[in-house]
Amino acid sequence: MNTELPPARRAMVMMRVGITMMLKDRARFVGTVAGVVFAVVLAAQQLGIMFGLLQKNTMFVDSAAADIWIAPPGTELFQPGQRVPASTIDLARTTPGVHLASPLVVGGGTIKKPDGGNEGITLIGTDTSTWLGGPWNMVAGAREAILQPDTMIFETADREKFGGLNLESIREVSGHLVHVGGFTWGLIPFGPSYAFAEIDAARDMLGAASNRVDYVLVTVDPGVPTEEVVSRLKARMPDLKIISGPDFHTAIVTNLLKNQLGMSFGLSTSFGLIIGLVIVALSMFSSVIDNLREFGTLKAIGCTNRDLTALVLAQSVAYAVVGSLVGLFLVTRMAAGIRSARLVVITPAWLTGLVPIVMLVLCLLAAILALYRVRKLEPGMVFR
Amino acid sequence: MTLEPMTGEAPAVTVRSLTKIFGGGATAYTALAGVDMDVRAREFLMLVGPSGSGKTTLLSILGCVLSATAGSAVVLGRDVTTMRPDELPAFRLQKIGFIFQGHNLIAALKSRDNVALVQELRGVPHAQALKDADEMLAAVGLAGKEHSLPGDLSGGQKQRVAIARALVGAPPIVLADEPTAALDAHSGHAVIELLKALTQERGTTVICVTHDPRIFSFADRIVNIEDGLIRPDDGSHS
Repeated sequence: MNTELPPARRAMVMMRVGITMMLKDRARFVGTVAGVVFAVVLAAQQLGIMFGLLQKNTMFVDSAAADIWIAPPGTELFQPGQRVPASTIDLARTTPGVHLASPLVVGGGTIKKPDGGNEGITLIGTDTSTWLGGPWNMVAGAREAILQPDTMIFETADREKFGGLNLESIREVSGHLVHVGGFTWGLIPFGPSYAFAEIDAARDMLGAASNRVDYVLVTVDPGVPTEEVVSRLKARMPDLKIISGPDFHTAIVTNLLKNQLGMSFGLSTSFGLIIGLVIVALSMFSSVIDNLREFGTLKAIGCTNRDLTALVLAQSVAYAVVGSLVGLFLVTRMAAGIRSARLVVITPAWLTGLVPIVMLVLCLLAAILALYRVRKLEPGMVFR
Repeated sequence: MTLEPMTGEAPAVTVRSLTKIFGGGATAYTALAGVDMDVRAREFLMLVGPSGSGKTTLLSILGCVLSATAGSAVVLGRDVTTMRPDELPAFRLQKIGFIFQGHNLIAALKSRDNVALVQELRGVPHAQALKDADEMLAAVGLAGKEHSLPGDLSGGQKQRVAIARALVGAPPIVLADEPTAALDAHSGHAVIELLKALTQERGTTVICVTHDPRIFSFADRIVNIEDGLIRPDDGSHS
């Protein structure tokens, strides 16, 4: 006498049948997986580009080595704008817990090309006594080059754009002749690329007062909590924006997502997922319709709705897993192919982990229509 | 009426006043109008009649894939018309083997997997189920075709696999719906001969719906159904 098969084993049997049926119909399998791959690539690619753009706008804050930023009131992004009073530096330096307080100048400049045209740059004046906010990602020369009179460091990706820049090239920047002392890689925010000069040289080029300060970058004494120093600075300079480095990073990301990037990238990512959902749902539903007699036969010989649910869900999970793996492989390859100084597609580990989960949910949702049809199926149809 | 006195052993199937009405109101259609029928254990019974006579409806109710409107149908001691819907799949799985007009095999599964699936669902371990399937396929003359997909088999061979699927695990009853309809005369004859031999050997009760007169000679008894009622045997099928 046969015994009742435990539900888990019974589900395994049906899953095996489901996977076998799925693999037999190769054209449909490839088409459905392509739908999942499409969704993965579009969604992950769009998110990757968005993360890349966000990184372009937070990289200065992330790389400036400052624990605390003192910025003009109302500052939301790191960009040229208002200034802070020159006295801010002394106020900061005399605040308990402050280790270093260093001025930074940021302004819009122009570089004159040999053919007479001009290109914009984001001129950064760095305090070379601390190097807070100094050049990084150097690919040629050294940051100390800007210690030399009238010497600047430019972005290597703009060398051609600036008329074929090389080390020791001479260019006119905002009316001042400068030498090229080095190149950075990838320091291009939304606006023109960063170009670094010693802070007083930068003030000269910008035609600014000798005490102009756009930001003050602060480091705290070892062992002193940053938030404590932030509070102290706020108490002394209530009219200025005083924010820790990580909080400034978060504020920039939030601002960009709310006002610029969030909607467009959110929409394109959602479209990718919706299209994937529709493709998988239609494919699974048509698979059930095309194999209605087989499903009816399975019911007639004794399969329950639960059995057939296991069969269909096994297929949807397989579509999600295979589609995610192929999709993520393609995204990784595409990200490597696209990577340049201007655009880096960032696919963080959590995104790579999240994609299969999202696809799994998507494919399970896509199976609802197919499951509804299977569960409604009358086994008696096999006798008609 | 073709009711015959049953002797000794309880009948495998007892049908009383079985009625099935499809739809309602003006469009109601009576497929079975109060059928009475007994089928003896180990009997090879053929249910014959013209299209629309109700024979497939009767088979569907006996196979627990269609509900009755009224009356009773006791199969192996259980009145299938009063069973809860959630009891029916297990009853079908354990007690009834099905042979359909088309072979109704799962196209993606090999012959042995089609047959073994029923056994696995019954709780037979995978390896044993495959062994049972291979033995059953050998019994229907398909040794060597265990790994063939249905698409690679002829119509007759597919129906043999379907017979193997219906008989594996020795269910007490086999219900066959026009098992030779899709086959040529030679294949049809061979298939029904095989079904008869195997079920006789195993003591299986068979109810076979057909209107193929070429296979009437294999029946132990023929029951004629017309307009939803069992008709007295006029001897035309003898």
